[in-house]
Amino acid sequence: MTGSRLYAALALSALGVVACGGGGGGGGGTASKPDKVQIAAEGPFTGDQASIAAGALQAIKLAVKDFNAKGGVHGTQVQLLTWDDQHNAQTAGTLQAQGISDPTVLGLIGPMNSGVVLGTAPGLQGASPPLPFISESASNVKVTDSGWAVAHRVNARDDAQGPADAKFMIDQGAKKIYLLDAKSDYSTALADAVQGYLKDKAPTIQTKRDSAQQGQKDFSTIVTNIKSFGPDWVFFADEGPEAGPLVTQLKQAGLTIGQNIQFLGTDGEEDASLIQKSQGAYVGAYATNIVPDPAGISTASSFVSAFKQEYGQDAIGKAGPFYGSAYEATQILLQAIAKSPVNSGKISRSDVLSQLASGTFDTIFGAVKFNSKGDVASGGIYVYKAGTDSMVVQKQISG
Amino acid sequence: MDYFLQNFPQQLINGLETGSLYALVALGYTLVYGILQMLNFAHGDVYMVGAFLATGVAVLFVHGSVAALPAAVVVVLMVLAAMGGSGLLGIAIERVAYRPLRDSNRLAPLITAIGVSLLLESVVQVRISPGTVLVPTNALVPQVVAHIGSVATPVIALVLMALAVLLMVGLDLFVFRTRFGAAMRATAQDREAASFMGIDVNRVIVVTFLLGSALAGFGGVLEGLRFSTVDFFMGYLIGIKAFTAAVIGGIGNVRGAMVGGFLLGVLESLGGGFVSTAFQDTFAFMALILVLLLRPQGLFGERPVERA
Repeated sequence: MTGSRLYAALALSALGVVACGGGGGGGGGTASKPDKVQIAAEGPFTGDQASIAAGALQAIKLAVKDFNAKGGVHGTQVQLLTWDDQHNAQTAGTLQAQGISDPTVLGLIGPMNSGVVLGTAPGLQGASPPLPFISESASNVKVTDSGWAVAHRVNARDDAQGPADAKFMIDQGAKKIYLLDAKSDYSTALADAVQGYLKDKAPTIQTKRDSAQQGQKDFSTIVTNIKSFGPDWVFFADEGPEAGPLVTQLKQAGLTIGQNIQFLGTDGEEDASLIQKSQGAYVGAYATNIVPDPAGISTASSFVSAFKQEYGQDAIGKAGPFYGSAYEATQILLQAIAKSPVNSGKISRSDVLSQLASGTFDTIFGAVKFNSKGDVASGGIYVYKAGTDSMVVQKQISG
Repeated sequence: MDYFLQNFPQQLINGLETGSLYALVALGYTLVYGILQMLNFAHGDVYMVGAFLATGVAVLFVHGSVAALPAAVVVVLMVLAAMGGSGLLGIAIERVAYRPLRDSNRLAPLITAIGVSLLLESVVQVRISPGTVLVPTNALVPQVVAHIGSVATPVIALVLMALAVLLMVGLDLFVFRTRFGAAMRATAQDREAASFMGIDVNRVIVVTFLLGSALAGFGGVLEGLRFSTVDFFMGYLIGIKAFTAAVIGGIGNVRGAMVGGFLLGVLESLGGGFVSTAFQDTFAFMALILVLLLRPQGLFGERPVERA
């Protein structure tokens, strides 16, 4: 006992010497250097959503690298853990357990999917101390409406996206809308929101609602349903790659996007790889997204060029919709960690959490502050249109 | 009623096209079960590997620098690669994962089957692609739509369905009209007695795996050509569906698997078209429960004989 206490005292005094010797790296002169700082990035980095999530992971890596280049947390380099949850809450829970038990894991960027958040947030909240997370893409209202203090997100919510999607179709003159969901927490809630808004605000518009499967490729039954309903718009709330085979088979059935049918997709469909995967059938389709595209925002221009420099000139086109919000979320988490007090070489997750609740953070999209639920005020909805090789941002809309 | 009559033929064709795929894969389950009384849960992944082999050939000849070949030749090469590769893979799996356990606890090969399934998925995921891979179908098959009355369907889907049926008829003839088929049926009835009669049981088992896996490989090509994408997880759901089809038809019965496959496809498309797409997959499993309740041995199955 005595030995270990002596050792601890020695270690502490040694740290004090190092901190003094390092001299005034942190603010206020009282900050000592944390021994170890880790954050985790979680998302479906492999599997059917890999093409969407991979860009987010690249952005998180870049954000950590940029932050470390400026000195990290009072001189300590931040280490990034990568948790590939494969869009599966069980896998996510297993991965998060290692972070929960390690007090130097101070926060989590992600999970990216609403369903994964809803499945794992109770565990993160129940950890001691709770493990805060900032999602860059989970939009189900329950993510921040469930009262979990650990829950934060930088993207807009379904209850903003649903009305905005519905309004967009109304403004485009839609008369008959076929609504399709993909049976996930995200897509069902979103399709419900669109359907509810249409019923309320545009009761003359006829709708029909169907469900697809995640991973579905054979859409012949659904295409037949669409043809016999005869809509002028198809709305597909989806977070995966299912839109590719759907629009391909629509075209085979004689429904060409932009000619005799209009198509509106959501987050997962703001994915330029769909144009190639559908062999061009996707050209002309619209998709809305819950995060801004850095390429269209002046304050983010240096980030965009840094991203291209790091990952290649064509990296932006392949990065999917969430690379900007992922960078933003990482900036916020790292700033919250840097603002937290260091006690004997340790930063507590509870302090990071209270910094997230109270602080204002400087990001590539401007100053960001969370409200009491963990949402940001500025989250807008953006419309993209599929060109011949990329998704082109059209405008920002809101419900 | 108008709605029903107008859409019924189309949904029927949709269902038959889907069902042909289920039937092809179901045959592999049923052949192996018939002979070894084991469920080869890696079968769906053999299908996936076949699809990837075919895609590899397609990408090599369409995008690669290898000599330009006519599209038809490339498709034939794809089929050969997929059926050959899947067939050999099936044999290898049997040799490595099942044969050493043939006389052990009945659960043991079931567990290794699941292990092989996860192994194949992981290897393809890590080594080839964690996402979807595009099959350059535009360059390979004509993108023409056939109109028959009120029914419209891609010509390729019809051609592939016809080929699947042809293969199934071929298999049926092989099993019921050839000497080797008789040996297979004898082995299925009683492995020990068959070996006493001079039948090389190991050879029968190897050929069974070869046939079932090659059919699955062909199914993989079919899916790749129709839907233009393949991914490492594509074998999972079709594996479960095909297994369901095999059980509905009477597991171990070759004709039952074919009928079960088509039946399942049609049930799903009619259920999705006229009841609810949200429950489309549910119809398959409801049918399974009904069959198991009313006719546990399956539509074409025989009552199981307890073996000592």
